[in-house]
Amino acid sequence: MESKEMVELADRVSRKRATGTAVAAGAFLLIQLIARPFFSSMGSVDARAADVWMWSANAIALLIGLATGGRLAQRREVRALVNDEVSRQHHKTAMMIGYWVAMVTAMALYFIPAARDLNARETVYLIVTPSAGIPLLVFSWLEFRSLRNG
Amino acid sequence: MAEELRNKLREERTRRNLTQADLAALVGVSRKTINTVENGVFIPSTVLALRLAKALRTSVEALFQLP
Repeated sequence: MESKEMVELADRVSRKRATGTAVAAGAFLLIQLIARPFFSSMGSVDARAADVWMWSANAIALLIGLATGGRLAQRREVRALVNDEVSRQHHKTAMMIGYWVAMVTAMALYFIPAARDLNARETVYLIVTPSAGIPLLVFSWLEFRSLRNG
Repeated sequence: MAEELRNKLREERTRRNLTQADLAALVGVSRKTINTVENGVFIPSTVLALRLAKALRTSVEALFQLP
């Protein structure tokens, strides 16, 4: 049995985590879509080193967040409540969607004629970017949905 | 086979004048778990179903039914 205060704290932490995750993943995808810091044109290999590192660092951070569920600076009891049965199910769903996003993107790149001239780095970029961002958005949406209608 | 489970969790909880947060604290889960089970979005594990039934002093069969 937990205290009501702890349950309410876990609620707030869950909401904050869902918001933070949505903002981080949304910003990541939006930046790639608008600014395309790494992949500037089909067949281009002239990406700036700083852009490559920025994209890599962001993608790795999102993938670590996706794999671990993020580190929460809270007591163990609160963390257990935040990562309870429902959140673990949301995490599994998000991971599964990430897997299928990666598979569908990879197969699309394999079959689309315009993607034939892509080098390995560009192909990795095109697969990893949606596979890291979309599952986190899905996780956030599932968490928000479970938190509403209180 | 699509999974579906009817439940009377909300009725049982309100009958005992408990909020979702009260029941969550009794069971040791988050409020979102209670919320998703009540809305039929999430099908609880056997352990959670037993804990919910125990907290509401009823049986699992009274709380959850197959359609």
